[in-house]
Amino acid sequence: MNWLSNWLSNKWRSNNWQSKETSSWQWFYRLGSPRWFYLRSGQWLPWLSLAALLVLATGLIWGLAFAPEDAKQGNSFRIIYIHVPAAFLAQSGYFIMAIAGAIGLIWKMKISFMVMKAAAPIGAVLTFVALFTGAVWGKPTWGAYWVWDARITSMLILLFLYAGVMALQYAYHSVDAASKASAILALVGTVNIPIINKSVDWWYTLHQPATIKLTSAPSMHMDMFMPLLVMIVGFYLFYALALILHTRNEILRRERKTSWVRELVTAKAGG
Amino acid sequence: MYFENFAALINMDGHGVYVWASVAVTLAAMLWLVIAPVIGQRGLIKEVSRDIQRQQDRQLAAKKTFNHEESN
Repeated sequence: MNWLSNWLSNKWRSNNWQSKETSSWQWFYRLGSPRWFYLRSGQWLPWLSLAALLVLATGLIWGLAFAPEDAKQGNSFRIIYIHVPAAFLAQSGYFIMAIAGAIGLIWKMKISFMVMKAAAPIGAVLTFVALFTGAVWGKPTWGAYWVWDARITSMLILLFLYAGVMALQYAYHSVDAASKASAILALVGTVNIPIINKSVDWWYTLHQPATIKLTSAPSMHMDMFMPLLVMIVGFYLFYALALILHTRNEILRRERKTSWVRELVTAKAGG
Repeated sequence: MYFENFAALINMDGHGVYVWASVAVTLAAMLWLVIAPVIGQRGLIKEVSRDIQRQQDRQLAAKKTFNHEESN
């Protein structure tokens, strides 16, 4: 594990670190500074919260009260407006966590390990929401809360992967070792994402096929599809908000001994 | 609105229980995801300011003993 990250970061450094192009990468290193991120993200929070709240409220009211009902499933189909966005973000969030872990391993960027750690509980909660709403939707639609369908089972594995990443954070005394081990697990676990995606096509069992695909038009009427799109955008905004909030706490926790955190706290206590 | 009245929206032809239970659990989970870090941050800031206070107290105490010893 150590040899891998050392090798990757040395390779990167020998190519770029001391070259003349360093200046064009400055933004990248600044983004990696916990202090810069903490101070800057504090300015984003009110706008992001407001945007997430407005978009989610619009999508939810539109989907629950104004969209027409499904011809076959009746009104139970309205669960789609939270089930699909939650499942979407549970998977996107896994990618974000794994990529943050990879960046941490390769560039040894402190903040990216913090983002990775922050992404795990958020992803786990969203996966749980997707599973829960799916189970509740399954009762009136399939007649059962739970079936060992390929999609459901692979989502359950996703939940365990998130739990594994969270558990590994506390399995080591050294923060550095814990971050590296979590990053490796997160990266290995990405194999599960295409399995989740393709499960409804490979094993054509109970779960319905995807409603939205990047490569084709949605299999849904526009009146039903638009609120779903709004909800997905809203969930992305919410995810960004939650990730920033959790990352900021991780920054405070790890940088508590630094002078900038102390100055910040003193200023807050004084004002 | 798609439904005739508010009661129909709540009932959803018998599917209301499933839909509203899903909505309630989802909203509760999402609220928790943003409220927990806000509470956590407050705790962290308190902890850090306690650390600073303790350090200042210690420095002050050290100064006092130093002065005391000198006057003796």
